[in-house]
Amino acid sequence: MAPSESSSRPPLRSLIVRTRKRTVLGFDPQQIIKHFFGANASTAVIVLVLIMIFLVREGIDFLPTYRRELETYRKAGLELCDIADNPLKQQQDLTSVLRRAWAATTDPAAKEVLSDAEDTFDTAIEPAAEVLDELKELAKETKELAVEFHTLEEGRQQLLNAAAKTTDAAARADLLKEAEASKLEPVDFAERITPLLERRGELATKMHEYTVTLEEAVKAFPQNNVLVDQVRAAVPAHIAEIKAAAGRMQAWQWDKPVSIFSVIGAFFFGTEWITNSSWQDFYGFVPLLAGSVVIALIAVLIATPISVIAAIYTNQFATDREKELIKPVIEFIQAIPSVVLGFIGISLVGNLIKEVSEWGFLQWVPGFPIQERLNMFNAGCLLAFMAVPTMFSLSEDALNNVPRAYIDASDALGATKLQTVFRVIVPAGISGILSAILLGLGRVIGETMVVLLVAGNRIAIPDFSAGPGVIFQPAHTLTGIIAQELGEVSRGSSHWQALFMVGIVLFAISLLVNWCARAVARRFEPHKA
Amino acid sequence: MKSTLIALCITLTAAFSAQAQTTLRIRGSDTLGAKLVPSLAEAFKKQGGKVSFDIAAEGSSTAFTNLAAGTAEIGMSSRKIKADERTLCRSKGIAINEIEIAWDMITVVVNKNNPITDLKKKHVMQIFAGDIKDWSELGGSPGPISVYTRNTSSGTYKDFMTMAMKGREYGSNSQKMAGNEQIVSEVSSNANGIGYVGYAYAGASGIKVVSIDGAFPNPAAVKSYVLARPTFLYTSGEPSGTIKEFIDFCRGAAGDAIISKTGFVPLSQMK
Repeated sequence: MAPSESSSRPPLRSLIVRTRKRTVLGFDPQQIIKHFFGANASTAVIVLVLIMIFLVREGIDFLPTYRRELETYRKAGLELCDIADNPLKQQQDLTSVLRRAWAATTDPAAKEVLSDAEDTFDTAIEPAAEVLDELKELAKETKELAVEFHTLEEGRQQLLNAAAKTTDAAARADLLKEAEASKLEPVDFAERITPLLERRGELATKMHEYTVTLEEAVKAFPQNNVLVDQVRAAVPAHIAEIKAAAGRMQAWQWDKPVSIFSVIGAFFFGTEWITNSSWQDFYGFVPLLAGSVVIALIAVLIATPISVIAAIYTNQFATDREKELIKPVIEFIQAIPSVVLGFIGISLVGNLIKEVSEWGFLQWVPGFPIQERLNMFNAGCLLAFMAVPTMFSLSEDALNNVPRAYIDASDALGATKLQTVFRVIVPAGISGILSAILLGLGRVIGETMVVLLVAGNRIAIPDFSAGPGVIFQPAHTLTGIIAQELGEVSRGSSHWQALFMVGIVLFAISLLVNWCARAVARRFEPHKA
Repeated sequence: MKSTLIALCITLTAAFSAQAQTTLRIRGSDTLGAKLVPSLAEAFKKQGGKVSFDIAAEGSSTAFTNLAAGTAEIGMSSRKIKADERTLCRSKGIAINEIEIAWDMITVVVNKNNPITDLKKKHVMQIFAGDIKDWSELGGSPGPISVYTRNTSSGTYKDFMTMAMKGREYGSNSQKMAGNEQIVSEVSSNANGIGYVGYAYAGASGIKVVSIDGAFPNPAAVKSYVLARPTFLYTSGEPSGTIKEFIDFCRGAAGDAIISKTGFVPLSQMK
């Protein structure tokens, strides 16, 4: 009997609470407000997840598509041609140096010898180049047939699918007829590769003859010329490489399958990003990554001292009036659109750097005088400028968060202001400063417009042999390539997917940097007093 | 009240008559779509063509993707259609029809202080392919060559490759610029720079046009210049109605005048 009694006469407190409660459409308004706030927070999370899903959905097919393309590249024999072509291309570099030596020499006799040497170089390679060109022609034809077959086959499948779906008999007949019209014989790779395989021996012989002539020609080179010595030193390696290539050609198999790992390797470790090529497109990630990383490092190296020192000054030494001036001014930088900064970079910073680099007393600086106004240093300077507000504000917050007790204790021990700042406050806030630097790095890596306009867009791994002067070379970046190329590639093509892969990697890098920033902040968290 | 009603009526009639107008959607090349085709469209409307134009120029490749998808009536292209693009259209049941509209001359430019005035065609290829790396190799003043090209999706990028470089790749030292303007400004600021632009940009200050095998780009003698190329309009099937009227206008005398004014060479001058 007890429960029924208690339900009929509820305790006073719950009675009061219930009478106070109002419901909207049967819901508790407090719950509704809570859910409303929760929904706003979760929207951000959901959007982030959707972005990830979208990126992955567009990019995931890249590996199979690229694998198919590389497979065609191999089966059609383009790969075989490239094995021979790559070492032969070095000949161009050598003759280029020889021509320069010729231009620099004043002695007519030496000039004669050099001009002869260049001629020998050029004529020696011709037989091999001729054979190679013929093979290339064959390989390219096969590839084009394969591509045509693939495109038509895809279109045909679409037509057949459409035919299967239509209910109208006449329309279906039309579609089927069209599908029939676009039917092609599949390419017989085995048959088409045979002439290439047969002639590779001939090519190897021609290449061998070329190396013999080269060795002879080098003996006649004039002495005591820096450029000629450079060629002389490079020739043995060149010959060795050609011999190695001949060996690789023999061992090459056209029907060896392309493993998915080699495709992943070709993307992540590929050193060439070549698109819209008439020979073969390659999507190699390294040149873009190298450009992005070097630019980001330059930017962080410049921005870190400026923003950290400015933060220390503002936080510890500045008067209130100075604070009121410095903080808003630095934070205002963030409001400048990056495209405006890009134009400043082209029209102002570029010319400035170039002019300064031509000053006589600065010639000891590596890389001076510079030739390109648009280079990584220029981009790095502008990005540093953009990163300063982020780094400054967060560093300043970090210094603000140093417990008052630390400072009081230091003062009580008789430390000077400077000692307190550098021995107590900065070490205590170092975690926040480090994470500020990392977040600045994240900002810099993801920036697009400035690098697209200012970095010079040269898709090649920067020549690090130039030493520190490397920063004055142009480069291309991960963000820049997406902005430059995505607008005009056809949707769903391998190029499109490759750009999405770059996007995925960029996204991963940004996540990693942000995660590091959080981890650093947590790791060195000062003990709250 | 009355005036409001009248205003409303006028707006409605205007809206309806605008609806009655046909819209020509034109997609494709940046070289053609930047200036030439919009001026042609403007003039066509002025002389009484009852038509509105919707032009977007995002590179020659987009001409064919749009034609294939049926989202454009006319495609403009600074290069001939590629085999796989024709195949793509065929697989969508569209027969592509090609109309030559004007000739363009790709002009090789260097810095105005460069002593070089003439280049052999072979040298142009070697420079852009990265075989020749220093101006001294060609008898110029020593200095590493900086090569500026258009970006990869441009039709000019591809055309230059086939016409001047025998289909070889650009050297890895080449820098890909967004447009003609940017190439002009970089070459004019870099004493060792070389690049190519459309003929319309050849007169810009700070740069110098080099002759190729002794021939300067010259509208009076287009065919003797090695880097001259025809530019095209593409339609799906034989043009009819307004599309035909517009194309006939472009190829007529009024069209020719506009074509020469925008830095291209009209077909009538080619004979």
